[in-house]
Amino acid sequence: MKRLGRLLSCSAAIALLGGAALAEDVTIGLATAQTGGLAFADQPSLAGFQMAIEEINAKGGLGGKYMVTLDIKDTRSDTGATVQAAQELVAAGVKVLITPCDADPSIAAGQISQAAQIPTLTFCGTTPTITDAVGDYMFGTYPADNGQAALLAEHAASKGYKSAYILKSPDSAYTLRLPEYFAEAFTAKGGTIAGEGTYGLGQQDFAAEVTKIAALDPQPDVIMTAAYEPDFPAFLKALRGAGVTAPVLGSDGIDSPTTTGLGEIANGIVHTTAGFAADGTPLGDFYKRFAEKTGAAPETVYVATGYEIPYILDAAVTAAGSMDGPALRDALANLEGVAVLTGKVTYKGTNRMPSRDITLVEIQNGARTPILTATPDPASVPAP
Amino acid sequence: MDIVLQQVLNAISLGGIYALLALGLAVVFSIVGLINFAHGELMTVAGYALFLGVLFAVPLPLALALAVAAAAGAAVLTERLAFRPMRRADATALLLTSFAVSAILRVLFQNGISARPKPVPLPPALSGTVDLGPVHLGAVPLASILVTLVSLILLTLFLKRTTMGRAMRAAAEDFQVLRLMGIRANRVVAVAFALSGALAGVSALLWVAQRGSVDPLMGFIPVLKAFVAAVIGGLGSLPGAVAGGFVLGITEVLFQAFLPEAALPFRDAFVLSVVIAILIWRPDGLIPAKSARRS
Repeated sequence: MKRLGRLLSCSAAIALLGGAALAEDVTIGLATAQTGGLAFADQPSLAGFQMAIEEINAKGGLGGKYMVTLDIKDTRSDTGATVQAAQELVAAGVKVLITPCDADPSIAAGQISQAAQIPTLTFCGTTPTITDAVGDYMFGTYPADNGQAALLAEHAASKGYKSAYILKSPDSAYTLRLPEYFAEAFTAKGGTIAGEGTYGLGQQDFAAEVTKIAALDPQPDVIMTAAYEPDFPAFLKALRGAGVTAPVLGSDGIDSPTTTGLGEIANGIVHTTAGFAADGTPLGDFYKRFAEKTGAAPETVYVATGYEIPYILDAAVTAAGSMDGPALRDALANLEGVAVLTGKVTYKGTNRMPSRDITLVEIQNGARTPILTATPDPASVPAP
Repeated sequence: MDIVLQQVLNAISLGGIYALLALGLAVVFSIVGLINFAHGELMTVAGYALFLGVLFAVPLPLALALAVAAAAGAAVLTERLAFRPMRRADATALLLTSFAVSAILRVLFQNGISARPKPVPLPPALSGTVDLGPVHLGAVPLASILVTLVSLILLTLFLKRTTMGRAMRAAAEDFQVLRLMGIRANRVVAVAFALSGALAGVSALLWVAQRGSVDPLMGFIPVLKAFVAAVIGGLGSLPGAVAGGFVLGITEVLFQAFLPEAALPFRDAFVLSVVIAILIWRPDGLIPAKSARRS
């Protein structure tokens, strides 16, 4: 009897242990820029990412069974340091790697995780060629440049604009290619390009450039640029100062309080964003929850897009049933219609840059109003 | 013709900002032989002070004055904490110290304030246009020209008419002799830093008025421009810094205005070629410093 009792308690203990062992510990590595020139995007993305991981762990982990610990390394916005961090994280056996909000360090880090068969996601890198430059383990998460451009071109055509002037900077893929994608999509819809201007990142003095725009005859119907702070405000001030009144289209880089702080001259600007936090929407609720938790509302939508990534991973892990590299890669690549804060995310049928909702907002009197939320029609999205 | 006149005004306005920036570097270099690469972070300090001023609805003139004072104060503080202990070190050590100060300040801004830009909304009048006959001039470029003029006049008066100003000019020529005359070195150096900080503050106001926001890395590009301008002008020479600033600003705007579109991405290469040409022609700069110290 005594022996039976011992046996019973033994098997009870094993059952308990077995139950606990079902929840496996995994590590996600983050080689992201917490200082330096990319920190403006990577810091808020990380804040959102951490909050989502805490929530997922409280519910039993990714796919209900993988408890996540984060290994966070600061890359100082340096591509070499990003590679080193990625090497260390891969050597430490992380199951997923997260890379910065920029194409160059993401591609460099991706080369290492690709060889090690570790699914890798960039925080908010928007260049649609990131994924193909690395390989089948590299995934984007944020609305891609060509998708944003397609939606802007659609808007321009629906407004009846016939001619557009584009301002681009060869200093980054974002500021160069997004306006070029726009030009491609806009001319495909029957528009013409009235002229192109070039600037240097951080150049800040746009007097010479806007003097040339002001001298155009006839004036373009619309001016499109992917310039962001500090260039965009400086450009806009100079443009309006030179007496040019054509409406301005911008990209998600100007989704910041600085743009609305420009006052009257910002009226009529239409730009893309990953999402607009209206009351009662999932994104609006998230902004409230984040404010309650941290004491301050998110300064940017990057917090929300960072928060969405663990939930995208959760959907993939649930589908794969494991965090094994190849299985997780396949599950991610086949995700379809995953509901996140800003809409739905689909990888199936894409080059691993997600097809997802993008919002257009218009600025009037220091406030933004959403005018359209849509997933760009794949047929009208320029090839990367 | 109008477009040429317009571009000339644009060039003068940008040149004025560069002149102020280069002067700030030159004032300190002329006395302690330090190229202060933390000069840009002094601009950032002024930018954040202006941000706070606007946030708490301080009357604008007071907010502007506070911003300039904050930059001057920060300059004196960095001198006291970082550069004075290094006074006897050689030029390279001083240069590295200034890089360290710059890096530390940037990380403090990033992690202590925010990695995101902070908006500095200024009154709409500052985005307006002033029509001068056939040409338009934005309020900010016009203000740049006026502020540069006023700052240069005030600085000249200070250097020529006050005892401290004379002492600073003497220090630039021969610091050791000045000390033998019984002038206190620490005070001259501190005033030089304060002056340099105030110049950084004034140029920061013009810079921020143009960009509408302040961010932790804001000072990087201006300090590079200032350095180039100061080198063209002749390191350590105050009139040289002004001349260098204008030459750089005018060259940049003219290339931006008149280069063909296909060559525009290489604008900076053209500008720097002009810089090299100037330095081949005059290796010590346009208006070399009297003591002709080369870093």
